Amino acid sequence: MAATTTGAPIRKACVIGAGVMGSGIAAQIANAGIPVLLLDIVPKDAANRNAIAEGAIAKLLKADPAPLMSSAAAKLITPGNIDDDLDKLAEVDWIVEAVIEKIEIKQALYRKLMDKRQPGSIVSSNTSTIPLAQLTEDLPEAFARDFCITHFFNPPRYMRLLEVVGGPKTDSAQIERIAAFGDIALGKMIVRGKDTPGFVANRIGVYWMQAAIIHALDLGLTVEMADAIMGRPIGAPKTGIFALLDLVGLDLMPHVDASLAASLPAGDPYLSIRRDFPLLTKMIAEGYTGRKGKGGFYRLNTEGGKKVKESVDLRTGAYAPSTAARLDSADAAKGGLRVLVTHPDAGGQYAWRVLSGMLSYAASLVPTIADDIVAVDQAIRTGFNFKRGPFEMIDELGAAWLAEALRKENRPVPDFLAMAAKAGSFYKVENGRLQYLGLDGSYRPVERPEGVLLLRDIKLASKPILKNGSASLWDIGDGVACLEFHSKMNAIDPDTLTLMKQSLDHVGKNMKALVLHNEADNFSVGANIGLALFAANIAMWPMIDDLIGQGIAVYKAIKYAPFPVVGAPSGMALGGGCEVLLHCAAIQAHSETYIGLVEVGVGLIPGWGGCAEMLIRYQPQSAKEPKGPMPPVAQAFETISLAKVAKSAAEAKQLRFLRRDDGITMNRDRLLADAKAKALALVAAGHQPPKPAELRLPGPSGKTALTLAVDGFVAQGKALAHDRAVSLTLAEALTGGATDMTEMIGEDQINKLAKQGFMKLLRSEPTLARMEHMLSTGKPLRN
Amino acid sequence: MTEAVIAGYVRSPFHFAGKGALAKLRPDDMAGAVIRGLIDKTGIDVKDVEDLLVGCAFPEGEQGLNVARLIGFIADLPQSVAGATINRFCGSSMQGIHSAAGAIALGAGDVFICAGIESMSRVPMMGFNPLPNPALTERLPAAYISMGETAENVAKKYKLDRREQEELALSSHRKASAARQGGRLADEIIPVKVGNETVSIDGCIRDETTLEALAGLKPAFDQNGSVTAGTSSPLTDGASACLVTSADYAKAHGLPVLAKIRAIGVAGCAPEIMGIGPVAATRKALKRAGLTIKDIDIIELNEAFASQALACMRDLEIDPNKMNLDGGAIALGHPLGATGARITGKAAALLKREGKQFSLSTQCIGGGQGITTILEAV
Repeated sequence: MAATTTGAPIRKACVIGAGVMGSGIAAQIANAGIPVLLLDIVPKDAANRNAIAEGAIAKLLKADPAPLMSSAAAKLITPGNIDDDLDKLAEVDWIVEAVIEKIEIKQALYRKLMDKRQPGSIVSSNTSTIPLAQLTEDLPEAFARDFCITHFFNPPRYMRLLEVVGGPKTDSAQIERIAAFGDIALGKMIVRGKDTPGFVANRIGVYWMQAAIIHALDLGLTVEMADAIMGRPIGAPKTGIFALLDLVGLDLMPHVDASLAASLPAGDPYLSIRRDFPLLTKMIAEGYTGRKGKGGFYRLNTEGGKKVKESVDLRTGAYAPSTAARLDSADAAKGGLRVLVTHPDAGGQYAWRVLSGMLSYAASLVPTIADDIVAVDQAIRTGFNFKRGPFEMIDELGAAWLAEALRKENRPVPDFLAMAAKAGSFYKVENGRLQYLGLDGSYRPVERPEGVLLLRDIKLASKPILKNGSASLWDIGDGVACLEFHSKMNAIDPDTLTLMKQSLDHVGKNMKALVLHNEADNFSVGANIGLALFAANIAMWPMIDDLIGQGIAVYKAIKYAPFPVVGAPSGMALGGGCEVLLHCAAIQAHSETYIGLVEVGVGLIPGWGGCAEMLIRYQPQSAKEPKGPMPPVAQAFETISLAKVAKSAAEAKQLRFLRRDDGITMNRDRLLADAKAKALALVAAGHQPPKPAELRLPGPSGKTALTLAVDGFVAQGKALAHDRAVSLTLAEALTGGATDMTEMIGEDQINKLAKQGFMKLLRSEPTLARMEHMLSTGKPLRN
Repeated sequence: MTEAVIAGYVRSPFHFAGKGALAKLRPDDMAGAVIRGLIDKTGIDVKDVEDLLVGCAFPEGEQGLNVARLIGFIADLPQSVAGATINRFCGSSMQGIHSAAGAIALGAGDVFICAGIESMSRVPMMGFNPLPNPALTERLPAAYISMGETAENVAKKYKLDRREQEELALSSHRKASAARQGGRLADEIIPVKVGNETVSIDGCIRDETTLEALAGLKPAFDQNGSVTAGTSSPLTDGASACLVTSADYAKAHGLPVLAKIRAIGVAGCAPEIMGIGPVAATRKALKRAGLTIKDIDIIELNEAFASQALACMRDLEIDPNKMNLDGGAIALGHPLGATGARITGKAAALLKREGKQFSLSTQCIGGGQGITTILEAV
């Protein structure tokens, strides 16, 4: 890990309870490179006493999306059982309990491990429903001191939220220690909650779900209509409410509802909106538990050999073919939340009822559930994947407007909301810093943890050094600049290339190093193929030729810059977005980075230096790897011709998109700071640009070998006619054209061959058809 | 002419390449262990060994250099024992036996260890640096044809339907499974150590396979074809070794002779139907032995693919009841360079076990060849 944690390091962990959550948590600990024991009970009459934990690991390896980031991570999980293996706790620094939500079982387990654990080790529960006070009742002081709640969200690898809750007896140093580990090693957004029912995210999120269900029923909406509003229009995931229930499992809702209702104080607004939902009970009883079962509010009817998407009629419970919701309000929501909630149609009324309830509920819960609004917003954003937290949503509506609208309906206005209405908003920007409203009515800056550097904070505080429609250059301090892409989907276009070039000039003259980073969902989806297709359709070949040449030149300038350029990607980095990274002096990647050269999907090959850079990366790195001209070619050919995309930064290392000494940052919020530190370290080490690579390539014999292999794939039906054409063009570039293995060939020559191949393919009808299809459907055409 | 005899036969367990139990074992170490096993089993005085002949189809990487010499060192053979690596693709280690028999006939040595090795886990088919001749490829594309494609060609030429091929595959598994369960394979297997584990049984045999299971597989090489992974021999790791000596030496040293070498043959054929290579090679060998196929009691026909095995059976009029009594390569596996010594040694052992007179071992060879050995009980 790039950053250090607080307190004694956590070198080894143990998760007890190998269910979905327990095994998922173990996987994320392993993803962080930390060995972890995964224990469960010994099944009755079992021949294999570790059967449950072993089964859970086998499931982890099969699950999609993958809970594990690499095959190496899987090896860090050791299965065991609580009867035979508790002695191993003596070496464990952190024990996570993720067993069934029954207090007597949890307490019995705590008593069992009490003498086995090493003094000072942290014990935490992943409970989502049992208060910490009850869990530690009657347990010794020494245990309670090391005990807290670490509440993960499912699936633990992908959901960023980790709620950490301590009790009055918990040693605050232990809380700091686990929070730092969760943040830096596990990459989680840490929200410190209070020991209240549902903690932070579920308290508000479950209210939202309940409200979304009952108001949909009351307004007589279809499930499609409800989901059309409760998804993107309000800034929630596109699953809305009913598709979300299908995803998480219908049977989860009654459990969560019952446990929350049982522990909430009398008079809590949640208690007044919850009610029986007989259809849900019936569906669960009939096995309609959602995607894990026969289906849920939606199902795929495959009777008669056809696949028909159906949905449930919320009034009758009968399935009928799904019909798209037609709601003006859903479209109008693009104009903002207030436009949505004031829209007169059923969707607008629905949004108002759900959001007004949820937002006033949230405003009434600070400081009961968390110290400040920042924590609440972070919890909803990272625990429920909302675009904005409740207080950010209130600001978008207007705090005063919301308060007034509630008053008009004779509904109570929470004090804190009234305060914000008076002050103007919950957040504001002052002196280039984001401020939030405290309970005392004054604003204070939103503090970032040490080691967190966010481009959005920098952007609030400064103006870009350079900027055009597709990219900007920012000063991120200490002589380091950050080049941000901001075109649609961060596609790389001529403007991006121009700004790259200008940035290289600027940094070369005025600064020490450059970082390529942005905070969009995806680093870059690649070159703008819409532009290339447009130019091809009107036969502007010289323009395309020039664009490819420009890309090669700019990427080369990145590689040979006299100062270090560090790539700091997160999300997808595909095609040209991958190639720019391949030219960086170093990469510091977010663990959730998905890198690949996917050009063959649109009938092209990498034209901006990707071919040469992959050949360089696949040169033997140890005496163990086979020598000769073919192995690097065969590997590059496989990776590029199959459009392999690494499903994590760890996998990107295996595929060699990342080099061995490239870094991985688990917490996205720490990525820019880590990349900047890496860049400065390279400067301090006296960075020198690399010497141009000279490669020994096999020439026509190698191309013949690849041709034979491709023909085999065609015969097997694994490759189509145009796949063959694209693959052979790729083979021509990777094998070095007419070169001979007695000669060395420079990367410029390889780039030239790749460019020729690219241009040839771009002039072919099947490639144009692939590009058109990709642009219109977002999916590859198989031709 | 001095007669040559087979005075010992052993092999390693055979396992799937990549996922099998031998994947992590270096091929030279595997062969070394098997040769030590042969020496222990036969009690031969290693000082008398003239040459170590090791068949290997892709002699590079860990099978590279002159791996036979290195295996000699690993097996602690005296440095005075020579070593040669022989490549005739799948026929490599049978060729080793032929070379030894020839040398014995010439009076150029009395004792030969004829081994075979292939780690298909660690050295890929086609090798690490496949560099076919572009001009030859242009002129004769079949020169580099993939083996699966040849199996399809043979199936088409002989109008062999998928079901027939699957029946042969099933029969191979059934026989191998029965042989393993009846303990009839244990005798020939030298357990090998992989790390801390000892591997002593075969890993490719599918005891439970059925015609239904085989019928469910997709064509492996041609989407419209009939050959599947189930009717092809699997990529396999394994090693084998035979002790070949002059009859006089065996007699003088009281070696338990299994059989004598009666006749041999090799022949070429069109590379695109390499699977019928055994036909011409066998006809030559039979003629040289003065025998007909009806005289042969035991037949080891390598099942590279069910289609080519069926084609050869048809052309040579082989009685299926005499063939591959303990299963063939579809069930046992086919570590290319090691197969020839296996099917020759196995035929010799079967002659003894079954109390029969003549055996015939034959196999097809990539590039379009066949190789055959006829043995006779002594």
